[in-house]
Amino acid sequence: MSVLAVSDITIRYGRLTAVRGVSFSMNEGEIVFVTGPNGAGKSSLMRTIAGVTPAASGRISFVGDDITGRAPEDIARLGFSMVPEGREVFGSLTIEENLMVGTGMRAKERGWKARAATELEAVYETFPILKERRNGQAGLLSGGQQQMLVIGRALMTSPRLIAIDEPSLGLAPNITDQVYECLIALRSQRRLTLLIVEQSSARAVMIGGRMILMRGGEIVLDGDARSLGNSEAIQAAYFGYEDH
Amino acid sequence: MLQIVFDGLSLGSLYALGALGIALIFGVMRLVNFAHGDVIAFCIFALLWPSTDAMAVVFAGQLPWYLLVPLVLVVGAGLSVLCEILVFRRFRRASPATMMIASFALGFVIRYFLLMLFTSRPKSISLLPMLSQPVEIFGARLPLLQLITIVATVVILIGLSLFLRRTRFGLEMRAAAENFSMARMLGVRANRVIMGAFALSGALAGAIALIFGSQTGTADIQMGASIMLMAFIATVIGGLGSLAGAVLAGFLLGGASVVMQVVLPVDARPFRDAFVYGAVILILLFRPQGLIAARGTKERV
Amino acid sequence: MTTATVSPLPADLLSSRKPAPFSLARRTIMTPVLLSLLILAIAGLTVLSGSKPFNQAVIDVFVRVTLVVGLYIFIGNSGVLSFGHIGFTCMGAYAAAWLTINPIMKKSALPGLPQWLLETRLPYWQSAFLAALFAGVAALVFGRVLMRLSGIAASIATFAMLAMINTIYSNWEDVTGATSSVVGIPIVRTIWPYVGAAIISIFIAWGHAISRAGLALRAARDEPTAAAASGVDIPRARLVAFTISGAVMGLGGALMAHSIGVVTPDTFYLGLTFITLSMLVVGGMGSLSGAVIGVVLLSALIQALRWLEAGVAIGSTTFGLPKGLQEIALGVIMIVILALRPAGLIGNREITSFRRSSRKQSSQQ
Repeated sequence: MSVLAVSDITIRYGRLTAVRGVSFSMNEGEIVFVTGPNGAGKSSLMRTIAGVTPAASGRISFVGDDITGRAPEDIARLGFSMVPEGREVFGSLTIEENLMVGTGMRAKERGWKARAATELEAVYETFPILKERRNGQAGLLSGGQQQMLVIGRALMTSPRLIAIDEPSLGLAPNITDQVYECLIALRSQRRLTLLIVEQSSARAVMIGGRMILMRGGEIVLDGDARSLGNSEAIQAAYFGYEDH
Repeated sequence: MLQIVFDGLSLGSLYALGALGIALIFGVMRLVNFAHGDVIAFCIFALLWPSTDAMAVVFAGQLPWYLLVPLVLVVGAGLSVLCEILVFRRFRRASPATMMIASFALGFVIRYFLLMLFTSRPKSISLLPMLSQPVEIFGARLPLLQLITIVATVVILIGLSLFLRRTRFGLEMRAAAENFSMARMLGVRANRVIMGAFALSGALAGAIALIFGSQTGTADIQMGASIMLMAFIATVIGGLGSLAGAVLAGFLLGGASVVMQVVLPVDARPFRDAFVYGAVILILLFRPQGLIAARGTKERV
Repeated sequence: MTTATVSPLPADLLSSRKPAPFSLARRTIMTPVLLSLLILAIAGLTVLSGSKPFNQAVIDVFVRVTLVVGLYIFIGNSGVLSFGHIGFTCMGAYAAAWLTINPIMKKSALPGLPQWLLETRLPYWQSAFLAALFAGVAALVFGRVLMRLSGIAASIATFAMLAMINTIYSNWEDVTGATSSVVGIPIVRTIWPYVGAAIISIFIAWGHAISRAGLALRAARDEPTAAAASGVDIPRARLVAFTISGAVMGLGGALMAHSIGVVTPDTFYLGLTFITLSMLVVGGMGSLSGAVIGVVLLSALIQALRWLEAGVAIGSTTFGLPKGLQEIALGVIMIVILALRPAGLIGNREITSFRRSSRKQSSQQ
């Protein structure tokens, strides 16, 4: 069953077209990397799916619901969890408060408090450093710890899909490795669907899964990361001059 | 000496509560709400029957205080939320300048609505008259009211901070104040948080109306404006969006006003406020981001 | 000071890739010309109508045009909202009062003035010029300090400046008469001086907008980082605009004094600040045309509402609408305009003749 279906999305900022007629869909449990050079429109696409920036045209559906033009909080409540570029922790809140923000959307369900507590324990188990500093200010964490915090924060909402925009941004390579190890482990534990944006295709090729390559606001390649990684097409997509 | 401290604290209390009302709304929607002062005025006039007499006919003023106080707070919160629903909701994506002017226009509407019903003559009222007797503390004779003002402010501040730290709603509001779109991506409902901020801010306006109304014994359409000018300034030098900063700066301004009143030579006293404003400009020059810079408040140049 | 800004532009105005300065002037001159024609047309109609109250109302409009154009010079080009400019209007108005009131009256009302000023009595146009100069110098002094700030801090600092000026003028008994009215300023009832001032301020605004400092300032407004990186001294460009706009505000203040004959500090405080700012924002903050059209439209609206308020007579009974309804309607209409057009009625465009605007578009693409 397709979890996320994006069809023919175009995004404009004034006269500038950031994304032009992009379509793709994702299945349950799939891991998809969206890669491409700077300015390819990856982040714009993410923000539009999350409901933060409106699309000029096209449709998006998530777990069967049409979410085009819906508010970000409604989309989040359907189980779409977004970790935006630059992490965006709530710096003045404590780590535990950061984790708890997203549990509010279940507040109408019975026994949500108990479940939130279990959820919290599970996140602390995955990221022990967060438990250690649970009452510390989130803004004081290092970049890698903040990345763990926002992944944990996304998990707290019990999502069906987590979208992460550039998890490696500003992190040392070995820290990035740790972050990815966690992600992969979580995915198999919880049967998560993962949508990951990265500038470089290297990580996708290393981990495997599907890769969507964007350039100039359009999808230029869509296929298995490992087989694409060795192709000449990917070189052309990054370094080619066919557009400008 | 003690008298000066209490004067400063009670004036600072008003400024701090006013600044807090502005900072709460600024935090969640980057709106500098110029209508706040008029909400304060509305709260006090809501207790009067429309009339043009100088002696006000207080219809709700006869209520015992335990009913009067909640009534005024609810009126403030209600009006404030109504402003949000009718007006500010349509300006969520507008620039701060546009929002500011819209809030001014709204304040204008509220002010002239009051003017239409009550005329511009200040009216004498007696709210909570039992508070005007003096009390003796540490050898200083203080009006009971001043004491109550300070105590009430402290209670409000503690209550608000507990509310923000201990409740789910407070958590969502703090998260939204820091990064609104991220909070929404975590399922925090934008309308609910913004309406909550307006309700709190309106209730604070009600509290100011009660305190100021009983202090001066008059209901004046202009009463909000005089406090709000200082409150705006307090909000900014406190660090826009920072609630603690707003409170701190409010007390600082109140203190500075009172101290200057005492310290300045007699000839210069009428110009006290000019010195206070000069000090404000100096503070801004050295700390343009405010005394306590709020995180996540990116300045637009 | 005012004449210097309309003088020919410096030769090194723009780099070679952009159009030469005179071609820029030629391309944009239609805006001030058309706006001036609009002013002249209104003035002409007023004179033809021969109605005295209407004459006075139109004089008010032209005074506000001067003030709002003065605001535009700083706010429109820098993008920094200033709440303080009416302070310069206050200074200009009092300066005009000091310079034109009959010395005998002055000695009793304002004994604290220096001797030479007590004895001075100038014609209104000279006093207006000096008032503008005085306000411009004051703006230069305040600007030196304030222009280091930006964003909301700058806005609130200008607010503090306004409050400071108001406090001083409200309390300096010997020099300003404190809060009581200063009367005896010669009243000028013909419309032409006001027409002249409005048109002069429009051309000053245009001259500044296409000058090196004006272009740099707008570049800094739209792309602060890029402008700073290409060597734009933002505080300096802001200071130039602040000073010029302060002078224009002072001119407007002097005119206001001469149009009503009385000044009090509270005439030049929050009320006037907000009404002028509203006119600017409703018209379109980023455009000179918006400034002028905002004033004309909102003033027309206010006037129409006043007439409605006063003249609802049915049969023998006159329905005097409650006082305040006019302001309420004005506030509601402003909110509606802003909700529908957040960038103001004109937005960031300028009115030009048809042919030129189409050429401008093609050159942009």
